[in-house]
Amino acid sequence: MEELQDASIHHTAAKLINTIKTLKNYEPLYENVQKLVCSPSVDRNDMCNTLEEAIKNAGLETEIRNIIFHLVRSKLKPEEKPSQININDPLAYLKRAGVQWDRRVRKSLNAMCSELKMASQGQPRISTDRDELLSKWDELSNYTIDLANYRPVYAPKDILDVLLSLKGPTKAAENTEFVQVPKWEFSHISLPVKNLFELRNHYSDLLRTESYAGSSDMNLQCQRVLESKHAPLCQHLLRKGNTPAPYRGALWSFVLGSHVNSFDIEHWNRLKANVLATDHIVDKLVFKDIQLTASNDDQYFVFEDVLYQVLLCFSRDTEIAQMIQFEHYPIKGKSYEAPPSGVVPFHGICMFAATFCYLFDSPINLYFTFRAFYIRYCHRLTTINTHPQGIVSICLLFEKLLQTHEPQLWSHFRELQIQPIRVVFKWLMRAFSGHLPPDQLLVLWDLILGFDSLEILSIFAIIILSFRKESLMQVNSLDSIEAILADLSSVQVLPLVQLALSRD
Amino acid sequence: MTQESIRRSNASYSNMYGRVNQNMTHERMKVYFCTDLDKSVLVNNFEKRGWSQVSADDDWNFYWAGVQTCRNIFSVDSGYRMNDNQMINHFPNHYELSRKDLLVKNIKRYRKDLERDGNPLAEKTDVNWSGGGCSTRYLYLDFIPVTFVLPADYNMFVEEYRKNPQSTWIMKPCGKSQGAGIFLINKLSKLKKWSREAKGAFHPQIAKESYVISRYIDNPLLIGGKKFDLRLYVLVTSFRPLKAYLFKQGFCRFCTVKYDTSMTELDNMYVHLTNVSVQKHGGEYNSLHGGKWSVQNLALYLEGTRGKEVTDRLFGAISWLIVHSLRAVAPVMASDRHCFECYGYDIIIDNNLKPWLVEVNASPSLTSTTVTDRILKYKLIDNILSVVLPPDGVPDVRWNKIPSADALGNFELLIDEELAAQEEAQNSQQNKNSKSMGGNRWK
Ligand SMILES: Nc1ncnc2c1ncn2[C@@H]1O[C@H](COP(=O)(O)OP(=O)(O)OP(=O)(O)O)[C@@H](O)[C@H]1O
Repeated sequence: MEELQDASIHHTAAKLINTIKTLKNYEPLYENVQKLVCSPSVDRNDMCNTLEEAIKNAGLETEIRNIIFHLVRSKLKPEEKPSQININDPLAYLKRAGVQWDRRVRKSLNAMCSELKMASQGQPRISTDRDELLSKWDELSNYTIDLANYRPVYAPKDILDVLLSLKGPTKAAENTEFVQVPKWEFSHISLPVKNLFELRNHYSDLLRTESYAGSSDMNLQCQRVLESKHAPLCQHLLRKGNTPAPYRGALWSFVLGSHVNSFDIEHWNRLKANVLATDHIVDKLVFKDIQLTASNDDQYFVFEDVLYQVLLCFSRDTEIAQMIQFEHYPIKGKSYEAPPSGVVPFHGICMFAATFCYLFDSPINLYFTFRAFYIRYCHRLTTINTHPQGIVSICLLFEKLLQTHEPQLWSHFRELQIQPIRVVFKWLMRAFSGHLPPDQLLVLWDLILGFDSLEILSIFAIIILSFRKESLMQVNSLDSIEAILADLSSVQVLPLVQLALSRD
Repeated sequence: MTQESIRRSNASYSNMYGRVNQNMTHERMKVYFCTDLDKSVLVNNFEKRGWSQVSADDDWNFYWAGVQTCRNIFSVDSGYRMNDNQMINHFPNHYELSRKDLLVKNIKRYRKDLERDGNPLAEKTDVNWSGGGCSTRYLYLDFIPVTFVLPADYNMFVEEYRKNPQSTWIMKPCGKSQGAGIFLINKLSKLKKWSREAKGAFHPQIAKESYVISRYIDNPLLIGGKKFDLRLYVLVTSFRPLKAYLFKQGFCRFCTVKYDTSMTELDNMYVHLTNVSVQKHGGEYNSLHGGKWSVQNLALYLEGTRGKEVTDRLFGAISWLIVHSLRAVAPVMASDRHCFECYGYDIIIDNNLKPWLVEVNASPSLTSTTVTDRILKYKLIDNILSVVLPPDGVPDVRWNKIPSADALGNFELLIDEELAAQEEAQNSQQNKNSKSMGGNRWK
């Protein structure tokens, strides 16, 4: 057994080393180590020890540790090869649905292209347009294009409809007698989700009394942790849920490994150059989306111009397509072109980026942190996937919690024949962006990052329903239910979450 | 929150935001209100309190009056004498604060008085302009842009102008509002030309209108590349002793067009003026958010991107500015116990995060441009009422005007000289300073 473990550690280490060598920060790191080797503090006769010491002293050790932290979190996940698909996999239909959804979305993007006579890979931008775009780069709200013929490729409602129509392998025999018993919308999906007990364990740090530490204390802790530059420590600090606003941007950057290096600036400039050089249909969709959402939102409209830049560059970033974990399942039929980023913009995509406007002034800093957050979290919320924190699991978790812990509400919804998920789905899919006021949204996202989990979204959706239970019990239509849940401006995230998790 | 969701929720907002004292059990005096403004944010608030509307000729307890009505009521000729159960929403000579030229005059006098008394607040310092000129400024009381009244101070203006001829100035007619008649000047010759064309506008004897000319804040803080100003609400319940409260839910008003100082844009008022009334006519006006962004969001953004210290300093400086502008007019205000007033403070923040007082309105608009705006103004009126009324909700000038912490709602205490004096007396043995100037409690 031990041997086996040993072997697997070696295997992981070997894999890590190989991956590190492919990273962009490998070269500068390697150069720094080379410089250290030549420095007087390293003794040729005791290379191993003195170099290790020198690496520590130069702060490179933390950097290396952070790199490994980020690698282990993301890049080293076992990737399923399409060929390995197991026919008996109970989730096979879900994977297929994911792949089909992806294809459907790309197909409608392509259909839009041919309808509007645009090349699906984009076309060279005509020079007058390029000049205008360039001169208005910092004020893209003044860049006028006719968007009348463009509409979002999909909205939360579309993906919800597909989710609700998912048919698992039928368990015909068992169910026939219970036709009258209403089925959960997601209960047939065999994804593992936590129960409240497990959630309490997962979020136990939130219930520690020391998390009520005074704010001056918290400021000091933030300063110390930031000085240490230690990504796991930064992540841990976010778990308290009372991160002072001034430290949030820096903490998030460490947790997501999104500090901007010189090669990142070059990358950003290339993305910008690509936006200027090619005219792509996603540009129009980006403009349309911002105009439909952030530009009209009294919390975010001031950031309109930054959002245009960020989302245009996002659409051109092929690194995103490489880093995102897509579902794999062999399906027949034609495959369709996707935008360079692999992400087809949907209604509200810019609201994920909008949150970051409260943390970063510079579009570049904003971009890389947003991008990392998108890849790790938002992508799972906006596509059909089998990830334990993907939107399907999050919906399932919501349903199970509601049925177990708010049975009254559950039956109320049942009687009204309203699927409870319908009223909360937009919150979940947008991770509450645009629904909670920014200061509270940031606290919620602190918890996402701190506990590296989207499960807080389901928990929080339940909390809001419980909190407004009395009013909800008194109304009988979807419209009135939505009216009761529309205004979240007075909701305080941290105390409510703490209360809900500590209650018996 | 999206506008769409607010709209759906507003059906229920009136009961969610109310703070009425519901103890109607004991028999109490019926309150009659009168209003010159037929605004739902007012009437709904009065009616929610069970008050009945009467006309101005009837016996009213609470009058939400226009400034002219108020002046008439207080004029000697009217012969109107208010009783102890009557309140009105203006001080008779509010214009000492709200008229652009008088505000400047009062602040200048206040600083001179402090200087004469050798008060350390009036310390001065020299500012060297890049062109070689040099001006003297107050170190702590330099919170309004240098301003002169025209035509009266024309020569003084020219003298200041010559010290830094590169600077831009903004001309505003004293008697107008909503951006009317405002223009920018960056050459003395342009001012002279304007004076000629306006047919003797500067001739002291025949000038129909006076103007103020102020140094134009040409380095405003830009957010998303756009200029904005702050609209804050300040409630004064007494001038002597001074009792003032700041409403925590102010907002930023954004220009719709990118800020651009190039000379070609000098005449584009959409770039320079942040008034909603001006911006509304711009092509880019968005009626869902109305260019309004909450002060809480501004604070969140500044803390996140600039840090806590500078943000706290900014909001501290804003409170400071408000308190001193009020102190400047306190001696000349008719501090009648029947009166209270809610002022709209217009403040510009420059890119060093220094706030500048632009103007004070005595009748800030109660028109709501958006749903959020309506909720805010409804709450503002509700909170004003709960601060100015004694705990039993019946107007009574004999009340000591010290509201409970609970009654403040979204107001925070800026200054209460009476309370401060009491505290000082209590703490004098311990040699503690009074804490009348509220800290930064904006969130
Ligand atoms: N010194 C200044 N520097 C820069 N901008 C200024 C200055 N003074 C005024 N402004 C701009 O001009 C606008 C109008 O100014 P001000 O409020 O004094 O005029 P007004 O006509 O009385 O407007 P209102 O009565 O609607 O407030 C302000 O909102 C501000 O954006």
